Amino acid sequence: MTGPRRGWSADAVVVVTLVILHFTLYRFFGRWPAMPNLLIGGLLLAALRMRAGYAAFVGFGLGVLEAAMGMEGLGTLSIVLTLVGYLGARSRDLLFADARHYVFIYLFVGTWIAEVALILAMPGVPNLLGALVLAPVSSLGTAVMCGAGESVAATLRRP
Amino acid sequence: MTNINVGRPENHRRDLVIVVVLLILSWSLAGLDSSQALGLTRLLRGSVLKPFLAADATYERRAALAARAARLETERDQLYIRLQGATGLERENRELRAQLSLPERQPGSFVVAELVPGRPAIGDSHSFLLRSLALAEVQVPTGISVPEGLVGVLRSISGGTGLGEFWTHPDFRASVRSATGGATGIVRAYVADDGETLMLVEGVPYQARMAEGAILETAGLGGVFPGGIRVGTVLRESASRSGWSHSYLVAPAVQPGAVRAVTAWNRASMEAGSLSPDSSTVPSVSAGQEEVSVDGP
Repeated sequence: MTGPRRGWSADAVVVVTLVILHFTLYRFFGRWPAMPNLLIGGLLLAALRMRAGYAAFVGFGLGVLEAAMGMEGLGTLSIVLTLVGYLGARSRDLLFADARHYVFIYLFVGTWIAEVALILAMPGVPNLLGALVLAPVSSLGTAVMCGAGESVAATLRRP
Repeated sequence: MTNINVGRPENHRRDLVIVVVLLILSWSLAGLDSSQALGLTRLLRGSVLKPFLAADATYERRAALAARAARLETERDQLYIRLQGATGLERENRELRAQLSLPERQPGSFVVAELVPGRPAIGDSHSFLLRSLALAEVQVPTGISVPEGLVGVLRSISGGTGLGEFWTHPDFRASVRSATGGATGIVRAYVADDGETLMLVEGVPYQARMAEGAILETAGLGGVFPGGIRVGTVLRESASRSGWSHSYLVAPAVQPGAVRAVTAWNRASMEAGSLSPDSSTVPSVSAGQEEVSVDGP
């Protein structure tokens, strides 16, 4: 297998694994308020390696799936995750290197922004406690888990 | 440090066009009515998400089995005791109605269904799926309840599956009255300062009062909810008062999260006889239309 293709495969495996884990552990993650959001983490990782348009398309698809799984917020989730995919891909220009700590910060900030956007956009009264306290904790967990996944992908990418 | 390699050079304008198209598509998804949203949700839940839902259902069944068996045993014992009392009461009610020349009470029929609550990863669940083959006969929108009280409203049905909203949904409204019939109002969900979801009864006439601890039940106006279903208990008068009316905070009779088996009101059988939903002085309908009567006599 050639170098770039091998890199792509490793990234794809990690992202798909994160998404599958998210849907498989849906109930488990839903039990506590500040669990890692592997769907957003996986999307942000995918956006690091994809063109912005494709990343937005992946975000849209994941948003629709998430809404069907949770039976809530069909339009809201697809809008927010489309924007997360697009902005995630565009913001990699700001990350001048794929050093581990930059990816960690990218995952943490990206997840936090996405979760706050969802908290504000979902029906009902916005949960300020969730936005200010729970979302950062969830984002930290997401950054740790997805950062670990990225490390695995980096190891596999190495020739 | 290496630059992140993304393959072919980017075409920002094309990416922007893709995003705009996707956002328009998302916006139109947000505007779908509940029956169209149910169609899409069912399609995805029956295809891509099916393995995850199957695993989820297996996990839930195993986790809940022991607790459910114990609870069912307790419920069966309680129902047996209630049935013992209700049989005599029913006979007594029939005799009294016969003496007063009143027709038989006909509260409508109900369809028992399994409720699957929505589980959004972010935010609270306000929607649910209902599953029962008998749902095809039910007209929407219609009230969903359990013996303890009101759960929500069923918005759309497709085959044996329905999509509904809990009373916690921001769009939920129901007309209510105090159990004594002295005051009426419109109830909706209300999130208190401490984050607890309560109910708020608005539009209670200025001259009417709801006492603390008063039991509220559905008024049956509008034909969506049958009359007499318990909604909650009045806690106190709300600080927000609009014009010549009072508002009251209400402790809900049912917390939606814990509900799994519910009844959907089938008003079709009542409409066949042109009946008022909560009328107790209605002409009797054919025996075949009456399936399960949950209201007491």
